[in-house]
Amino acid sequence: MPLDQSFDDVWAECEDLFGQARQTLATLKEPQPAHVVQASVNALFRATHTLKGMAGMLGYPVFSKAAHRLEDIFDLMRKGRLRSTDSLIETLEAGILALESGLDSLRRGRPEPEDYLQPVRRQIGELEAMARPAEGQTQDLTTLLDLPLETLKALSDYERLRVTAVLRAGTPIHALGVCLDYATFDERLRAISETLAARGELISTLPWDLPPEREGLAFLLLWAGLTLEPLPVEAGEAMESRQLVDPAGIPASLRAPAALPPEVVPERLPEGPAPPVVPVHEAEILRLPAQRVEELEARLMTVGQLRDTTSRLLRRVEEADLEAPRALLSEMETGLLDVQKSLLQMRMVKVESLFSRIEPMVKNLSRDLGKPVRLQLQGGELEVERSLLSRLADPFLHLVRNALDHGLELPSERLAQGKTETGTLKLSASQWGRNLRFDLRDDGRGFDLARIEARGLELGLLEDGERPDPERLLRLSLEPGFSTQDQASQISGRGVGMDVVRSEVESLGGEIHLSTEPRRGSLIRLTLPLSRAVVNCLKVRCEGQVFGIPLASVLRVQTGRTPLVGGMRVEVLGERLPLESLQACLGLRDPEAQRTFVVLTQRGGPAGRGSFEVAIGVDQVLGRGDVLLRSLPELAQTPGIMGGSPQEDGILWVVDPEAVLGLAMDSLMRRVASV
Amino acid sequence: MRAAGRDLLLSTRDLREVVTPSPPTPLPGGLPGIQGVVIHHGEFLPVLAWEDLPGGRCLDGPPEALAVLRTRLALPLERLVRTLDELPGPWEEPEDADPARPWLGASVQLGGVVVRQLDVEGMLDLLRRFRSER
Repeated sequence: MPLDQSFDDVWAECEDLFGQARQTLATLKEPQPAHVVQASVNALFRATHTLKGMAGMLGYPVFSKAAHRLEDIFDLMRKGRLRSTDSLIETLEAGILALESGLDSLRRGRPEPEDYLQPVRRQIGELEAMARPAEGQTQDLTTLLDLPLETLKALSDYERLRVTAVLRAGTPIHALGVCLDYATFDERLRAISETLAARGELISTLPWDLPPEREGLAFLLLWAGLTLEPLPVEAGEAMESRQLVDPAGIPASLRAPAALPPEVVPERLPEGPAPPVVPVHEAEILRLPAQRVEELEARLMTVGQLRDTTSRLLRRVEEADLEAPRALLSEMETGLLDVQKSLLQMRMVKVESLFSRIEPMVKNLSRDLGKPVRLQLQGGELEVERSLLSRLADPFLHLVRNALDHGLELPSERLAQGKTETGTLKLSASQWGRNLRFDLRDDGRGFDLARIEARGLELGLLEDGERPDPERLLRLSLEPGFSTQDQASQISGRGVGMDVVRSEVESLGGEIHLSTEPRRGSLIRLTLPLSRAVVNCLKVRCEGQVFGIPLASVLRVQTGRTPLVGGMRVEVLGERLPLESLQACLGLRDPEAQRTFVVLTQRGGPAGRGSFEVAIGVDQVLGRGDVLLRSLPELAQTPGIMGGSPQEDGILWVVDPEAVLGLAMDSLMRRVASV
Repeated sequence: MRAAGRDLLLSTRDLREVVTPSPPTPLPGGLPGIQGVVIHHGEFLPVLAWEDLPGGRCLDGPPEALAVLRTRLALPLERLVRTLDELPGPWEEPEDADPARPWLGASVQLGGVVVRQLDVEGMLDLLRRFRSER
């Protein structure tokens, strides 16, 4: 009885549309030929139109209305009433970002806000007011085209507006008449249209009267661009072209862009050699909900297994080679794992897709707050699971807003402190073992620990006389409703953010760590477990269960001469190491005696301390192999366990070597204490 | 729904879906409040142990269904009773002495039966506390 599962596809499509919209807007920041701008704006218009419909379908009328407002702006742009400028693109980027954040909130079951576009309400209102033509001022320059009136009547309102806008911009319009063969006209018309669209703006395709001496079908294509170069003609076809109007001959009064706002500057034209034309392609995206990928994974595995079993074993049986099946099975396992790895890869996205949302936001906030910022991004090429990045986006955007609003100082304050006028914000993503690490550093004023302490006392989160250390104070800022701001700012400081960040990160099984230095800045570190990964493990058995120990942390496997019990020391390559059983580490029943142990090492420990090793006793070593690790959700996180991998005979639990080392030391200390 | 010897109300806002139960695999070393995990849409899903909650008890028999919460926790259910579009009043607040108060909210009479509202947030807080106290 799924409640919202049927909407999974819709949510995924919305995410894709936002991604495409962001990408398209980013291309508009660079100088582009007019037809590319037009195609981009058309794509954005369609994206917001679809978002509007989807929001309506999901039952979010306020979202739908907000998407409709953006759709209107793109409509005004495509009709030539607004031109692409830096400020317009920034406003639209901020609008798209606000809608996207709103979508994330809705997905988490939060109620609809009063206005999704609140951050850009003023700017959008101004654009709407300025682009609206005054009464009686709507112009239609289609009559200037040298075409029969009947042909002109066939143009749609949008096409008329485009003709008008193109002529006002001083671009000539050409007519291309084509006579095509009955058998191939659809293919050829598509090819001709695509060629024209790539070279300029194809405004309209109209049916055309076939010259009496010809057979086939004829079309008239209206194309805007400087020069219409001849197109290749195939056998049996005919083409003729002519310029319909010379824009230079249009009276200046008709060319004046009456409806354009005074501050909207003419479209940016590239200086020097023309940049390469970047055709706007709407990426074809194959959407597969996670559940379907799982199903596909299962089916592919079954098919692969059946095929190999049937073909190879059949041949071997014929040869009566009894040793071969074992090797073949091993080969099958490797092959199937490759398939799993490939499928796992399908779920991954690059972190730069998150960064691409942050960049325009930082730019807008920097301008609004009057704080120049140097944004440094690192690790955008890192690939993480799409679902994880999607859940992380909102918290991350909040942290960035906070850093700009509260962390970085105004230029005057920075200069007074001997800092550069421009603040620095560094975002980095990296992989550390089985964890992902997202760092956000700023060189601002740092957390105000005195204010946090005062606020903590006021809210009753600290007791009178308590002497909290800086770490405890920083943790307070993650409590629900905690804010040191006297008044909520429009950017942040409503006290409803940091706790949401913490809760989201913790629900992903991660941790948030804050550190600060007065007047030097702060660091916010989010550490998240990889939700899925292929891990090369040593498989061991303990108390009837199979565990995997990541081989990267295994220094050595050794069998003792005498029975081994927890608390004793064993000699490994001339060193005496403490030994504890894996059972004791994981809270299982302590074994009576074991023979085999695995030397675990902690690599890359704190600077100066080097690595340390502990011998971990196991009942039996089974071998090694790659396993597809799935992490445990927050409520099932068990000390010492990184995750599990479903196997035919149950779940193979993959231990977290670092945690097991810690648990082993705790257990050994308890043993010492109990003596 | 009926679980842990009680008739309970669960807000559909908290519910993701209801699925056929499968036996959970215990976690190594166990975790208070969690029976184990099942595979759900390819991911691990923890299954609640009603008996570990204060004032709770285990099901009288095998579960009929698993209610999967949005917060990725499965509740084993003895029975699904029905869905209600609107809740009749009046509501009665739980007594302070009620041991189940941390995870059960107010009660209401439905067809002569006292039904308690499941406080999902309270229950999750409790499970987190179990984990941190372990």
